[in-house]
Amino acid sequence: MKKISILLCFIFTIGLAFSQTDSSEKLVYAASYNMSGLMTQLAQVTMSTEIIKTSKKSFLHLSWEAATFSKWDKFFKIRDAYETYVDPVTLKPSLYKRNIYEGGYAKTEKYIFAANGRSINSTTRKKNNQETKRTFAIGGSSRDIISMIYKLRTVDFSKFKPGQSASFIVVFDEKEYPVYVKYMGLETVSAGNLGKKQCFKLSIAARTNKLTGKDKNLIWLTADTKKVPVLIRFSIPVGTGQLSLANAIGI
Amino acid sequence: MQSVFKKLKLIMRQTFIISAVIFGVLGIVFTILPLGTIAFLPIGIAIILSFLAIKKSTHKQGKFPKIILFISTLTLLVVIGKVVFIKDVVVIDKQFEIKKEESKKEDIKDLEGL
Repeated sequence: MKKISILLCFIFTIGLAFSQTDSSEKLVYAASYNMSGLMTQLAQVTMSTEIIKTSKKSFLHLSWEAATFSKWDKFFKIRDAYETYVDPVTLKPSLYKRNIYEGGYAKTEKYIFAANGRSINSTTRKKNNQETKRTFAIGGSSRDIISMIYKLRTVDFSKFKPGQSASFIVVFDEKEYPVYVKYMGLETVSAGNLGKKQCFKLSIAARTNKLTGKDKNLIWLTADTKKVPVLIRFSIPVGTGQLSLANAIGI
Repeated sequence: MQSVFKKLKLIMRQTFIISAVIFGVLGIVFTILPLGTIAFLPIGIAIILSFLAIKKSTHKQGKFPKIILFISTLTLLVVIGKVVFIKDVVVIDKQFEIKKEESKKEDIKDLEGL
């Protein structure tokens, strides 16, 4: 179950990002999993962004939802929601939430980032278990996986040479993981309603056994200012799959 | 020598029939489950095997492999119909929507306190 959760987290959050200038964007993806060499569509992933105003300041709300297609609901129902609230300028996360339901397994997680970004107040709850609270220290540049991807979309890959990497520190399951993103060159990829787009091909690697294979976890971002994630391929211990952009609104 | 060939032909025919039945059943199961195009795999194998079984059968023996071929072809049509006419949709989950709204209200409260 944990592996499925990791799988979903990876494939779905990897695609959540948007251009810094846009405050409302909606990207709809079809998530497929490789079964006996054939890609089978399992779920729909919707990624959206909006500005949220409080009495003190504004936050950029990045959210994604994953839901299995109705034909799968009887067999393995998934209703996942990942959200993060970031500073619109610095992109620093303030609040991160994960609420997952995967075939009977449920988990909620909430991180409140300290103002200095050096610690997290975490509240987690697994199905039928008691809520657990803890505070743990993090590095100043650590961020949740969603805001990391947003940050990734702000990187100017046009200045990168093939093989050149960018690195990030991601907090996931109350642990910090270094994530490396290697630029592999330009490729033309089908991008749903956007047509065919020239894209930056990037390879994602992390110091974790949750991702397998060398250069098998890939993401294609449009090679323009928007850097829309149009295709994501992943390889994890339980198999391979992909997330392909079906519809993009507000680009 | 001729009897050896006859026996070999009989064994081959039986193997084809048994395998065709196994793959045919698998094909039906895959068709019932929402496995999409994956069902083409066992159905295709069942069709090929039942066709080979017909080839290895005499006129009188050909009835059963023909039934398997007919069922497999029918299953294939069902899968094609499902792929072409049934679109992948996500049902609006009211409980999930309510949960999302509640969560958003809670988030704003948390953000006010930061």
